[in-house]
Amino acid sequence: MRKAAAGGDEEAPLQNGSSGRRRAEPQPVEGDDRNSSPGGLQDEYDDNDLGRRREIRSKYRDLINSVQQNREDMLSPSNNRLTEVLDEADKLFQDVRQAREAVLDAHLLVVTTDLGKEKASQLISEGSAFDSTVFAEHLLSFMGLNRLEDEDDEPPNGGAGDGYLPKDAWHRLARRAECCFRTAPSFHYMMGSFYAEPPPPKQRLERQKKAPSKEAKRIMPTQLKKMEESQEEATEKEVERILGHLKSYYQEDPSTPISYYEFVIDPNSFSRTVENIFHTSFLIRDGLARLYLDEDDKLPYIEQVEEVEEEARSSVSRKQCLVSISQKTWRVSSF
Amino acid sequence: MTERKRLSNSQISSQSKRPSSSFVAQEEDEDAMLTQPSTSQVQKGLEKLSPAQVDQKTAEVVQYILVKDQKKVPIRRADLVKNIVKDYRTVYPEIIKRASRIFEQVFGLKLVEIDPKNHLYILVNNLDTPPSNPSPVEHPSNPKTGLLFVILGVIFMKGGVVRDKLVWNILKKLRVDSGLKHDEFGDVRKLVTDEFVRQRYLEYNRVAHTEPVEYEFRWGQRADMEVSKAKILEFMAELHDQDPRSWTQQYKEANPTHTSSQASSSSHR
Amino acid sequence: MSRQLGDSHRRFLQNMMTLGITNEQEAKALYQNCCETHKTQCAPDKLDEFIDAINSRLQPMFMQIRKGMSEENGHQYYALVNMAETDITRMTSDYADNELELFRKAMDLIVSSENGKVSSTDILNCTDTMTSKSLKKSETQHLLTRLVQEKWLCERRGEYTLSTRCIIEMEPYIRAMYQDQVKVCHICHNIAFQCQICENPLCGIKIHNPCVARYFKGRTDPHCPACDDFWPHEIPEVRGLRSQSKR
Repeated sequence: MRKAAAGGDEEAPLQNGSSGRRRAEPQPVEGDDRNSSPGGLQDEYDDNDLGRRREIRSKYRDLINSVQQNREDMLSPSNNRLTEVLDEADKLFQDVRQAREAVLDAHLLVVTTDLGKEKASQLISEGSAFDSTVFAEHLLSFMGLNRLEDEDDEPPNGGAGDGYLPKDAWHRLARRAECCFRTAPSFHYMMGSFYAEPPPPKQRLERQKKAPSKEAKRIMPTQLKKMEESQEEATEKEVERILGHLKSYYQEDPSTPISYYEFVIDPNSFSRTVENIFHTSFLIRDGLARLYLDEDDKLPYIEQVEEVEEEARSSVSRKQCLVSISQKTWRVSSF
Repeated sequence: MTERKRLSNSQISSQSKRPSSSFVAQEEDEDAMLTQPSTSQVQKGLEKLSPAQVDQKTAEVVQYILVKDQKKVPIRRADLVKNIVKDYRTVYPEIIKRASRIFEQVFGLKLVEIDPKNHLYILVNNLDTPPSNPSPVEHPSNPKTGLLFVILGVIFMKGGVVRDKLVWNILKKLRVDSGLKHDEFGDVRKLVTDEFVRQRYLEYNRVAHTEPVEYEFRWGQRADMEVSKAKILEFMAELHDQDPRSWTQQYKEANPTHTSSQASSSSHR
Repeated sequence: MSRQLGDSHRRFLQNMMTLGITNEQEAKALYQNCCETHKTQCAPDKLDEFIDAINSRLQPMFMQIRKGMSEENGHQYYALVNMAETDITRMTSDYADNELELFRKAMDLIVSSENGKVSSTDILNCTDTMTSKSLKKSETQHLLTRLVQEKWLCERRGEYTLSTRCIIEMEPYIRAMYQDQVKVCHICHNIAFQCQICENPLCGIKIHNPCVARYFKGRTDPHCPACDDFWPHEIPEVRGLRSQSKR
């Protein structure tokens, strides 16, 4: 029954469209409809307003949806929504003239009957009923819910959307609920959970080596320092060497701008190229050279910064840029 | 299970005399064998063993059950036999009897067989919890107990079975969204429909003839053994500030022995 | 040898299962509570006998309620421990294999350290040399929190030490496995991790901090009890005087 109704739902818009188009034809097409209606009804209300029918169907579907979606809240004994839904359906049914609407009415009836049955099953004949919505409210209070101030505009489902629970809320509940459980305590241990094994000997050797070698420790850093120093010196020398080249190129031909890439690329060695880029960057960082983009070819050019200029430049704003080069681009650009 | 543990397990099973050609077949075999030893067979088996041997095997069974109970998942008799009892299976009834006695006499616990079809064991507490005299030393509480109370409580109050949607709906009101990761419970849907079900606190089944598919919750066998309906009702009454007897049906179910006297007293109200 | 137990014993044991470890004062209160609950005789000075009765029945399962001292405050504690390693005990599921491996690596570092401490960084670095499935740094951090929560490790300012529960349960294991690394306290003869060490290279005895406090209490000129060299460390105050005077 539900399946048929659901199928009808899907077909509905399509049928609407097609029947609308076919309406001009003399033959009553709705006769081949699966939900064929009795001929008498059809004749009598042949000029039935299609728009009104669509509206009725849409209202039925809304009702069905609302029942399905709010099922749990509607089950609550304090909830009257089921009665309201049935009232609305009664009103709608007064205008139902054709089978397609009647099918939807039947479908709604199925859904509400199912709900009613479950609602009834909760109302155990004698004694008070149990309302899970009320239960949830009491639990929230027990767990120490911090309710937000504007309780007036609470939604009908008990304001479950407001407020927040403290961090120990579930511990609080657990502590009280514990006595309902006859849970056996369990036994936990560490010893015996893994294979007994002495620590790896390797580690002990390392330790023994390390222990008496305080001297070695002291020596190591100085060695490292020396290496660092020499590294620094090498860089400095390289930077100076490159600055020398830049200056000599400039002196050779002060009118021709020096292309940055021509300057740094070593066509025979990628690694030299990378080193050149690295060392040139120091020149720029230290304000001994500057890079600029040519307005015509948009390529970077490098030029020496005059000593006089140097001081004035130091206040000029600096920019950073990344230069990336791969083996591939190097190969392309070195030809 | 992790690699190494699996390894040690297989070592154990390979020690058993029978070749484990078919794992499943062997398990079924062992289960079948167990139903067989008669009192006289057990007697005969015991004669062949020294008391110390039987005691040691019993202690191993107790140890095994304690270790397996850490996760609160019921222990399968087939696993117990395969991993521990092994060659002593002819005297199995005697060993399990002695193990139960140790649990009762030393630990104050009760070894209970639930699910007589699948032969599952669980441990439950055999000591009454005295609310008047709580332990003076505070112990850490397990928030999952709170969650279980909510779900078991609703099922009980609703007459023994509820649709899963109702449970998710209540939990959502308690700020536990089954679709989200919860600070305390992690993946709540998994905890409720998998862990609690494996532990046998809950039963989670498809409702017949529903389209779309719906599920329902009932109390699991562990809950039947471990959870007191009277205490649940008592706490319910406290929460609702209501007399527990006002829920007549539930009250009758929670206090079956008092039914007649209590029912008459409640009818006076 | 094994004695008949009552519900008070059983309740006490169940509490020990839940707690894992408890200090002497709590154990006494618990003992009294269990006896009151089950209306049995309770002699306040008979706690150890009460526990012995339980232990006599736990012995076949290689379990025991064992007494030991906290390196932190020198107080006595009771812990429920496992005493054997078997195929069965290794079936425990509290920690995964790789988690146990990391715990052992942390223990290796603590035992081989001079002061019984290891930094969280050093533990985190251990994950690189694991033989089982490696742990991510975040997983390791989470595991360490759990180990502290479940009372196997202690943490203070990013440094981890073995907990009292761990030392009480693992002492025989540590003595056997780390023979040449482990030293005992010169005063109480228990294994010593967090302690003071005599600076005389020929002596080098260890004394627990609380034992130092008790031993040197009131002495203005402390000397090593073994070599009589000057004891150069700061002498801590005796902690928990109240429980001391109670005895």
